[in-house]
Amino acid sequence: MDNSTQVPVTVLTGFLGAGKTTLLNRILTERHGKRYAVIVNEFGEEGIDNDLVVDADEEVFEMNNGCICCTVRGDLIRILSGLMKRADQLDAIIVETTGLADPAPVAQTFFVDQEVADRTKLDAIVTVADAVHLDTQLEEHHEAEEQIAFADVVLLNKTDLIEGDSLVRVEARIRKINPYAKIIRTARCAAPLEEIVGLNAFSLDRVLEVEPDFLESDHDHDHDDDITSVSFVSDTPLDFEKFQTWFGKLLQTRGQDILRSKGILDFEGFDDRYVFQGVHMLMDGSPMGAWPEGKPRNSRVVFIGREIDNMGLKEGFEACKAA
Amino acid sequence: MDAPVTGAVSLGDCIAVGFGDGSVRFFRPGLAHTVTRAHEGVVLCMAVDGDHLLTGGDDGRFLRISLDGMVEEIANFGTKWVDCVTASHGQYACSSGRTAYVWSKEKTNAIVLEHVSTVGGLAFDEKGKRLAVAHYGGVTLWERKERRWKSSKLVWKGFHGAVTFSPDGKYIVTAMQENALHGWRLRDKGDLAMSGYPAKIKSLCWIGDAPHLATSGANEAICWPFDGKDGPLGRAPVCVADGGKQIATCVQALSEENAVFAGFRDGAVLLSQLDESKDAIVLKGSSGAEVTAIAVTASLSHVLIGDEKGHILWSTLWAGGSNAKSV
Repeated sequence: MDNSTQVPVTVLTGFLGAGKTTLLNRILTERHGKRYAVIVNEFGEEGIDNDLVVDADEEVFEMNNGCICCTVRGDLIRILSGLMKRADQLDAIIVETTGLADPAPVAQTFFVDQEVADRTKLDAIVTVADAVHLDTQLEEHHEAEEQIAFADVVLLNKTDLIEGDSLVRVEARIRKINPYAKIIRTARCAAPLEEIVGLNAFSLDRVLEVEPDFLESDHDHDHDDDITSVSFVSDTPLDFEKFQTWFGKLLQTRGQDILRSKGILDFEGFDDRYVFQGVHMLMDGSPMGAWPEGKPRNSRVVFIGREIDNMGLKEGFEACKAA
Repeated sequence: MDAPVTGAVSLGDCIAVGFGDGSVRFFRPGLAHTVTRAHEGVVLCMAVDGDHLLTGGDDGRFLRISLDGMVEEIANFGTKWVDCVTASHGQYACSSGRTAYVWSKEKTNAIVLEHVSTVGGLAFDEKGKRLAVAHYGGVTLWERKERRWKSSKLVWKGFHGAVTFSPDGKYIVTAMQENALHGWRLRDKGDLAMSGYPAKIKSLCWIGDAPHLATSGANEAICWPFDGKDGPLGRAPVCVADGGKQIATCVQALSEENAVFAGFRDGAVLLSQLDESKDAIVLKGSSGAEVTAIAVTASLSHVLIGDEKGHILWSTLWAGGSNAKSV
């Protein structure tokens, strides 16, 4: 399917009060010249009258395909299929999730349902975070941590209500959970919409933009149940068969704890770079063009998740090196 | 791009076609087609209630439309879509969210039936005494006992969409979110799992007296035999209308000829008898636009084919049918 015919879908997460509704109101009322459909849960008391607002109940379905953690948003499959039958072409679809919802089933919906995958594409997971209260929320709710971990973009809102030092500390905290998310500082969610919608963050191309700097940085953490990230680099080419076997088994057995994974791989015998990205145990990967000339070929992977120190990731990755 | 065709049903010698822009068009042999503005958004579902058409839309409205284009609003659910509709013997039902609403002949108010999740499909049995409601985790079977509807459950993990009773009322079959059909033998609630499809099953129909259930979702029309004591249990389906590498997206019965129309993702439409030794007839070649609806007039004089780009092919069905035209 041609990419241009797929409507981009932005998943909007964040705790109550962080500013999601402010952002949705902007998307619906600003004169941006685009047609955006917004899928909401119990749209607030504002009562915006707009035929492109769709009311949904978050319905998480387990797939009957033998994989226990494969859950999808059933209501999204139905609504996205319906929206694709509209006469007018939509520029983007924004899906609001409630503050306590796990974003994984939303993301997995785009991997699991073929029709949804053909007609729409997951564009980015955008998490609106309250700069003033994020610290406390991270302490008290593991959902807050997950929402940061899943994010491609963190809209750090209410930065006008916080001192500079504290802001730097909050950002460092976000970075520790999720080093590759783009952080946008805003007050009243006043960031340009083009930095939020239509980013193509889930495109495999974007994996190539993962900064090698942070990949080389080590990680540290305080609690075992924290979400952290870990990354590895190898200058020795990897063996395709070995990697497939290891990675497949890893996602199958530990996919529940691995929230996001991304990588660019150099397989022995392959001319092209191999690129993948995953959400829990679902993974999308393919060859993605030649290596840039004059730069060293190497393999880089990132994992964000829980207990990732206890998965033998380093040993597993090392063992994939071609003999 | 024109609004996609979302469905087509036959009302005697008239075919009603629903579109993604909310309009319904009526086609009759020998006459110019007529257009009725029905919904604000997409016509999501259609059913025939006697000589009227019932439609549900993403504008939350449930409508009854006469053949001359008079629109009557039966119910309005606001921001909630009307996803499914069905009718039988003067009673009719629609669903919005988790709720099914049933109107019987003698009453003006709907009976409200709640379910565990959003309703994926609705179907009455041939006699109109039972209503099957498909949803997450299986089917709720509602049975009319005097003045009340009583429910029983048919359980199978996963989400169930389109649902249908076999013509003899002995089986219920659903199309699942996974690439599979699921069936229940009602006498003992025995399960029939029919999997192995390469794609999701979007369309199914019953064909003939010793009925076969024809389904889309593969590169041929897959037709399961439901005659005999145990139906398709342990038997192979009849596979006809081979589309090569293309996946069938729409099937329609031509029971009088024991044949099936199969429409494909690339726009081609084949007609084949339920006989694997016979070749299929090509009714329409590839156009690049997925076939989304096929309907035949009651007298079998005309066939209508609609696709995702809003094209309609309206043609006589038999020899001499050189007056095919695209609308």
